[in-house]
Amino acid sequence: MIDTVTKNYEPIYNTFCSYQVTYVNSEIVKSVPLDEANTDYQAIQEWISEGNTVIDNPPE
Amino acid sequence: MALSRIDTTNMIEDVPQSKLDNNINFRNIIINGDMSIAQRGTSTASITGAGYHTIDRINTNLSSLGTWTQSQSTDVPSSQGFAKSLKMDCTTADASPSSADFLQLKQRIEGQNLQYLKKGTSSATSLTLSFWVKSNKTGTYTCELNDTDNSRQISKTYTISSASTWEKKTITFAGDTTGTLDNDNAGSLELNFWLGAGSNWTSGTLNTSWGTSVSANRVSSSNVNLADSTSNEWYITGIQLEAGTTASDFEFLPVDVNLQRCQRYYQQYDYTGTYHVIAHGTVIGGNQIRIIFPFINTMRSTPSLSNNGVGNFRLNAYGSGADQTCTGMSLIFGTVQNAELNFTKTTSNLSTNTNGRISTEHTNDASLIFNAEL
Repeated sequence: MIDTVTKNYEPIYNTFCSYQVTYVNSEIVKSVPLDEANTDYQAIQEWISEGNTVIDNPPE
Repeated sequence: MALSRIDTTNMIEDVPQSKLDNNINFRNIIINGDMSIAQRGTSTASITGAGYHTIDRINTNLSSLGTWTQSQSTDVPSSQGFAKSLKMDCTTADASPSSADFLQLKQRIEGQNLQYLKKGTSSATSLTLSFWVKSNKTGTYTCELNDTDNSRQISKTYTISSASTWEKKTITFAGDTTGTLDNDNAGSLELNFWLGAGSNWTSGTLNTSWGTSVSANRVSSSNVNLADSTSNEWYITGIQLEAGTTASDFEFLPVDVNLQRCQRYYQQYDYTGTYHVIAHGTVIGGNQIRIIFPFINTMRSTPSLSNNGVGNFRLNAYGSGADQTCTGMSLIFGTVQNAELNFTKTTSNLSTNTNGRISTEHTNDASLIFNAEL
């Protein structure tokens, strides 16, 4: 079960490039591409549609 | 010297068509049906949720029905050529499942690999499933084909007759003239082995012909509950799903071919040894190194990245003496063929645009994991 989702930014151009995901009761951290065919990406979209919020801290 | 013309008109007329059908290469739709590939590891304990735990391409779909150890076992049917099986061992029982609880083992199959079945047409092909199974828990079990593109399914039962004895089961599913499968890299069809289910799944009439998926009709009301005792264990190997109405001999593939097929969905790179170099890259900031990581095989989709702990990796810029344990790893950009990865450490003391390297941290084993599973 997804615990948190955070946007990753490419550090040179500061563009949103992937999601960083943590899971409940798990030490696994996944870096998930912005690819609709990726099932982790699909799970994030479902998690968002359930009302959860992605952490977004864009670089200044 | 001139070549003679060969008349091929009647060359294969004496070969029975059935023999030809049974010798089609890659006739087994199931990948890793002999349970021989286990990139993630050979045993996982305390399983209480869904996921891929040991054997490649075999998903455990579990919802609140016991606790399990899953392993790659060497207990196999005698003299059949198999070396490995998948074992489910119940470690915490649940003898009274709630209505929504269930345990399945499944394989999801890409639609583009199934177009030759002509599903959704008047020429739809039957499918025959064969497998070897063994359990102390005798009784009725349910197998299911689930068309997730069209919300259609068909279920059949099999019986384990003799406790703790390997038995071969063969089940034929009729072709489905309704619902074409998408011709893409997404999952279209699932093969499900139900090992237990609550009343939400069992309370109807088992749907033994293709039809619209109704939860209550998916599992036999007689299905055993494998979770009802910690004495229960269940083994399976030799899973083959093939076009037609007869089961051919299991199609054994060379291990390299089998591994490559699995690596379309999951690739795990394991590194051992003291400061074993994993990859070279470029320092892009005082505390960051960027690498391009090519995959050994093309993956199904752009994969997710994970690892066995960022502290098992180390960053170093040649000549700087500023090497330090990794504290962060992220996917910057990926394709089905490679990924651009960013590694970070705490102290910002690397020289930008110099050569950097990623290695194992001292004697720690480090694993990079790329997941494009269905």
